[in-house]
Amino acid sequence: MPLTFIDIERQKNWRIVLFFLVLMALYLLAAALFFAALLPGPLSAEPRFWVFLVIAAALTASIHFWFSASNAVDTVVRRLNAQPPDLKDDVHRMFANIIQELHVVTGAKRNIRCAVIPSLSLNALAAADLKGNAVIAITEGLLSRLSRPQVEAVVAHEAHHILSGDCLETTVAASIFGTFSSAMEKVRYSSSNRLFASPAFLLAWVLLQLGYLVNLFISREREYRADAAAVRMTRNPLALAETLHFLSRGWRGAGFIGSGFEMLCIVNPVATTLDETEGFLPDLLSTHPPIKKRLEILLQMARVSITELDANAERRSGRKGTDAQERYFVMSPARLWQGPFTAGELDALPWLSPLTWVANGKGKTAERAWKDPLLNTIFLRRLAGDGRIESGFTCPVCKQPLVTAAYEGTQIVQCGFCAGTLVENGRIPRIIARTGRERPCTERLNALARSVLQQNQARNIYRKVAARGAGQVPLLPCPKCKNPMFRGFYSTAHLIEVDRCSNCGLTWFDQDELEMLQCLIENRLLPDITVAVKD
Amino acid sequence: MAGWIILGIFVLGILWLIVIYNGLIAKRNDVQGSWKQIDVQLNRRHDLIPNLVSTVKGALEFEQDTLEKVISARAKAVGATGPQSKAEAENMLTQALGKLFAVMENYPDLKSNQNVMQLQEELTSTENRIAFARQLYNDLVANYRTALQVFPSNFVSSMFNFRTEEYFEAPAETKAVPAVNLSIRK
Ligand SMILES: [Zn+2]
Ligand SMILES: [Zn+2]
Ligand SMILES: [Zn+2]
Repeated sequence: MPLTFIDIERQKNWRIVLFFLVLMALYLLAAALFFAALLPGPLSAEPRFWVFLVIAAALTASIHFWFSASNAVDTVVRRLNAQPPDLKDDVHRMFANIIQELHVVTGAKRNIRCAVIPSLSLNALAAADLKGNAVIAITEGLLSRLSRPQVEAVVAHEAHHILSGDCLETTVAASIFGTFSSAMEKVRYSSSNRLFASPAFLLAWVLLQLGYLVNLFISREREYRADAAAVRMTRNPLALAETLHFLSRGWRGAGFIGSGFEMLCIVNPVATTLDETEGFLPDLLSTHPPIKKRLEILLQMARVSITELDANAERRSGRKGTDAQERYFVMSPARLWQGPFTAGELDALPWLSPLTWVANGKGKTAERAWKDPLLNTIFLRRLAGDGRIESGFTCPVCKQPLVTAAYEGTQIVQCGFCAGTLVENGRIPRIIARTGRERPCTERLNALARSVLQQNQARNIYRKVAARGAGQVPLLPCPKCKNPMFRGFYSTAHLIEVDRCSNCGLTWFDQDELEMLQCLIENRLLPDITVAVKD
Repeated sequence: MAGWIILGIFVLGILWLIVIYNGLIAKRNDVQGSWKQIDVQLNRRHDLIPNLVSTVKGALEFEQDTLEKVISARAKAVGATGPQSKAEAENMLTQALGKLFAVMENYPDLKSNQNVMQLQEELTSTENRIAFARQLYNDLVANYRTALQVFPSNFVSSMFNFRTEEYFEAPAETKAVPAVNLSIRK
């Protein structure tokens, strides 16, 4: 059933009262310290003084609370410079349409705005405030790289946050305590060091640290629940799973989406080890559950949905499935489940690749085709049929044997399925020097290289300023020694992300990455060092 | 004294009746409102189809059969009245459109035609809206039907002759429905 939201239980928002009390306590503490320092002695012992102090703190807290929480949606939209979608643009129009569909499903009980965040990073967020405004915002980068079902999944996930009321909680928490942190970040970026010592900065810093305590009350559970609701509405667990996986490998907007907004986002902009672990403490302190765990749950849902499809197909055709042969369901390029097929029938599908989603009679979840030994024989045969030479290495993405190939007059190792390339480090300079000899930089590659460069540049600056690493991204195993490869830029002058194994001296380029690197160098597309950090 | 008590009980009884009556009316209005929403979306689809057909007609010379089916299914759907027959006609139209979209996949020229892509996006969106509106309608009907049957509102409903509302039947399930447990634990 699509989710109509009639049955979404609105949560009790007692935590919002709690946030107010925490805020008041903070102000009371600050005032008490201030007066204790200013007026020592008997005056502070008088009860009337304390009554006055409590009232003053309550008043200040109320003002702060009202100003930051009542209009939080506008604040978030303004701070991220999010724009309403441009209806003349095809991709924006699709986003606006999906939001309209959402209004149909909810019976238009709640008016939800949509906005596009002008950033190439990959993230999405939802915000709601005490005035009843709500917004779903997606970054330009994410919007242009997702398919329609994937955007639907993201919107449905965020919509559940808004309609269940937990978004109000997080927005209030973020706007009360996050104001400090984003203000601090601006100060840090403008890096006039004198400010660090000022008392105002110190106070903000203390409040910021206390603000992190709010995470205690923002449970991870709400993310699982929103994922489940998104699946119920879109009936497409794999679309959401793919999106989450895609997000986990990309730049999620750290440095652009100010900290303080993290808990509004679909994935934490700053990848942290804490988020990716389970246990008592991480459950308590982290606002986002491990992406791995979320993926696992989604893949299980996909599996269950297939069993149902199978039963439906049986009922319609009126025949009982023969158990002698294994039956498979596969996700077609048009993003629809097809089946049931036997392995032989699968072999005839020209678009079947190791990365195709497959579910068979046994496994608990939907899986990539390469995980099935029987299907792997199909791929092996296809490779052998092409008469190519196996190199003894395995593709880190699709787990198929890599084959040797000639490239710009030297030898490289390639995957025949995902078009990834493995190059010995010693050969890379040769390839670069010979750029244009065999394959010229096409218009498409140049454009791609430019946009990747632009995106990675912003990311690199953030990394330098915040002095933080890439954090936790899922690492690919080395095709030779199977240890995780390090993921980073080719060099500081060539901001193309590659995976490297320092043990074996190998570099893995995903599809187009090697060509992009060549184009960058050929056309002298260098990072623009004059670009300053924008807030 | 006793007279006052009886009067009090009487007044309370009337108030109680009014509350239940209003509740039923509100539920029925919800149902009718959501039916209008389905109608809006169905009309939107009827309006979009002639545009799509005339845009792709040239490219789909050898698929006239598929196009004919879409056109005749639309004509039938426009003429249908009442939830039952309307649902049937619209489901036929949904199937015919699905077939057309599948056929269009095989024509790369159409995919690079911005006009076609825009029309297709509008139709996809409308399909979704129809499905969602129908689901909302059915849920509200279920809600209303329960209210008609349970104690004590069933007294009021029979007293004032509330009629039951029909469901809008969905087409045979073609998409897999994932079983989802919203109270999911880690
Ligand atoms: Zn979320
Ligand atoms: Zn591969
Ligand atoms: Zn290695």
